[in-house]
Amino acid sequence: MTMVAVTPEHQETLVALVRRGWPDAEVFLKKGRSRRLELSAFTQTSIFAQEQAWAVRAGHHRGSFFAAGTGEPDPAGPWPEPTGRALRLPEPAMVLPWNEPSDFDAPLIGEREGLRLLESLGRELASELPGARLLSASLEDGSSESEIANSRGLRARTRARVATLFLEAAGPGRPAPTASVYLAVREARKINPPALARRLADRLAVTAQGAPPERDRGEILLAPAVAVRLLAGLVPLLVGPKAGGLISGLRDHRGRIGSEKLTLIDNGRLSGGTLEAPVDGEGVPTREAVLVEQGFFRQPLLAWWQAETAAGHPSGCTRRAGWRDVPQPGPTHLYVKPDAKIPVVALLGSIAQGYYLIDTTGAGHFDLAEGKFALPVCGFAVEGGRASAPVAGAWLCGRIATFLQGIAAVGRDLTFHPLDGMIGSPTLLVTGLELRG
Amino acid sequence: MPFSELDTAAVARTLSQIAEQPEDVVDAFFERREDVELPPEDEGPGLRVWREEGFAVRLVREGRTWLATRDAIDGRPFAEALRQVARAFSAASYPEPSLRLPPDETPAAAPELAELPAAVNRALRAHHVGFPVRYTVRRHRRFVQVVGPRLVPAAQSEVFYSVTADGSWGRWGALFPRLDGGVAEMISSALAGLFRARQAPAPAPFRGIAVLAPSVVAVVLHEAVAHALEADVLAQGGNPESAVGVAMAAESLDVLDDPGAAPEGVRRTTDDEGSPVFRRWLLRGGVVEQPLADALWARTSPVLVPGAGRRGSRHLPPGPRSSHLELLAGETDEAGLLAGADEGYHLGETSRGSLDPLSGEFTLQLPYARRIRRGSLAETVGPCILRGRVADLLTRVTAVGRPSYPAGAGWCAKGGQKLPVWATAPALRLEGVEITPGGMPG
Repeated sequence: MTMVAVTPEHQETLVALVRRGWPDAEVFLKKGRSRRLELSAFTQTSIFAQEQAWAVRAGHHRGSFFAAGTGEPDPAGPWPEPTGRALRLPEPAMVLPWNEPSDFDAPLIGEREGLRLLESLGRELASELPGARLLSASLEDGSSESEIANSRGLRARTRARVATLFLEAAGPGRPAPTASVYLAVREARKINPPALARRLADRLAVTAQGAPPERDRGEILLAPAVAVRLLAGLVPLLVGPKAGGLISGLRDHRGRIGSEKLTLIDNGRLSGGTLEAPVDGEGVPTREAVLVEQGFFRQPLLAWWQAETAAGHPSGCTRRAGWRDVPQPGPTHLYVKPDAKIPVVALLGSIAQGYYLIDTTGAGHFDLAEGKFALPVCGFAVEGGRASAPVAGAWLCGRIATFLQGIAAVGRDLTFHPLDGMIGSPTLLVTGLELRG
Repeated sequence: MPFSELDTAAVARTLSQIAEQPEDVVDAFFERREDVELPPEDEGPGLRVWREEGFAVRLVREGRTWLATRDAIDGRPFAEALRQVARAFSAASYPEPSLRLPPDETPAAAPELAELPAAVNRALRAHHVGFPVRYTVRRHRRFVQVVGPRLVPAAQSEVFYSVTADGSWGRWGALFPRLDGGVAEMISSALAGLFRARQAPAPAPFRGIAVLAPSVVAVVLHEAVAHALEADVLAQGGNPESAVGVAMAAESLDVLDDPGAAPEGVRRTTDDEGSPVFRRWLLRGGVVEQPLADALWARTSPVLVPGAGRRGSRHLPPGPRSSHLELLAGETDEAGLLAGADEGYHLGETSRGSLDPLSGEFTLQLPYARRIRRGSLAETVGPCILRGRVADLLTRVTAVGRPSYPAGAGWCAKGGQKLPVWATAPALRLEGVEITPGGMPG
């Protein structure tokens, strides 16, 4: 991505909007193509889609509008009348050097190749857990190019490459336990069927055989799939100018909101990240923002216009997932910094008596006003560093402050999940939380 | 209709070229849609307008589906898409029918949206409550034209509205076929109820009588009857046609899916595959009569009839779904439903429902409920959950209320396809059902 010359379509629409009396105007163009493959026990579907669309934000000091559509924008409109809040657009800014990842140029996964991948997932699952089967599998591999230009002189062009996979599986027995996995990677060919099949098989086996525990505390090891759900529930405490006020209630007497093992980072240009890009959805340069450092809250995640009313540096965090979406600030790659020296097996081995929670089994409850959460989970009871019994139908409950301050160790296995942006965490060893039936 | 100038005959001729085998299903799906949104006052930018059009070409052969979609309606992309779905030589070329639609030059506006937030706030004051609420109001318009190699059904259109309200007590949302005076009152009643129940404690676990208001019955019908009788869901547990004739519910339950009787504005004569819709008896006297099927599933069995194929957008394939569910009214008035209940719960509002197709476990989340004591409504309780297995729950209906009401509607997001669903239903009384506390565990 570099600063680029604006295309004629852009320029014509931009000029027309400004001439209509709307000095603040922005034009976004996007082209994309994707292949989607769906497999169920009875059907097999292959979809090839080509999209071409645009979005315009424009207005004056008394109001603004957002308009979007397929094809190319017609400079003559029709455009909505500006209403509501005035629009503010970013000024051009220097974009730091960025090398476009080479996998952006890889071709989309082929129809046969994709179907083979999905079929191999079914085979791997059946071999991991006899009697288990895939109920449905959906793989989508897409690439896109977009351009943005605004009346303040900002010009940017960027590309993206994302593949998503959704799997739903049933285990043996009646009623059959079910489990699902949703993941996003940059390229479909990077998906690892044996690892995914193992994850699903573990979930199914634990759900089928596990029992809820008595109310219990102790050391609890949270696999990345569980830790990221907790982190995603805390996003409102980390984003926007009001976040600092909300999170201040979590500080301990030393001023920390978390243990010294906790460092939280958001980075829109994270190398290798699924959503890696040099600019955000408004064309503002992305950068790394450290939100929590060794337990100390440093700043919330702020867009350029929010940084005028809150302490902290803006970071180019305005997301625009697609042409239909109005740009909104939010995390891109928000993650707990891993400790490269600590393997998961060492964390597990350190637990004398406790639990290893491998996944969530539904949506959690987060009461940010009261500072409490509850998350449905499954996993294993652990004794002497070894799994002793499967656990299912359990709720991980506690205070948000207890979770953040009770992080005793972080592993090295940083893994991202597509939630509110890409949310990442390594395995976390926590104390002070409660597991209930 | 934007499709009046579409050369459907040319499209049909072109499609017939790729239908090589007698059992092939080939069709083209053209859509134009517009959404206009009035966001909350404190959120910029102001009015938001989305306008899109495009098409999908589909070939189904031997249980496999190929779909090619484009965000433009034009001859060249249409020929390209045909080539992508045709299982033919990649170099094969197809005619480029003239497909341009007249541009949508209607004003990008929806003045009727602007009135609603103030009207709801006025209606709220009449309920003697006041609290900050952020309203998002949307108008949804959609035009659909399906073309097959032999048949070209009439184009279809839908116009409806969605409203969401965000308060400190949570989010509430509903769909409406029109924004008239009654809508503001209905929204304000729902919001006032949620506000007043915000600190009510969750009830203790209970098994006994539950009286369900029509809006709650609508969600039960959608999850426990419609989803349970979709051919693809039935197939997860066995052969879909074996469901026909099974006594699934109490004898007093007659449930239909009738898109032709949906509220004006969302009424349909054909589904999203161009098949004629009809008054489909899902349950007659509690017995399964006609599961929901699309063209693909109808080919697997003579007892499955198409006409319930729906798609969220051109980019996704159709699947069997309900449109407008109707539960025929019974004989018992509202007082009669409560009478005789020494103890129980009146469920007047629901936040969401879900069905596990494999286990048949049905869950209904309720933000609050009212106790029934000696046949009368008593105190309000907080969040609770009604759950049970479909086969058991529906047999526990002991009385069907009268009359039937347009019972609200909502979005269904099965399989990632977001679709509006509508219902007409009376209230119901169930006995021996399980209600457990909801909200934050512990």
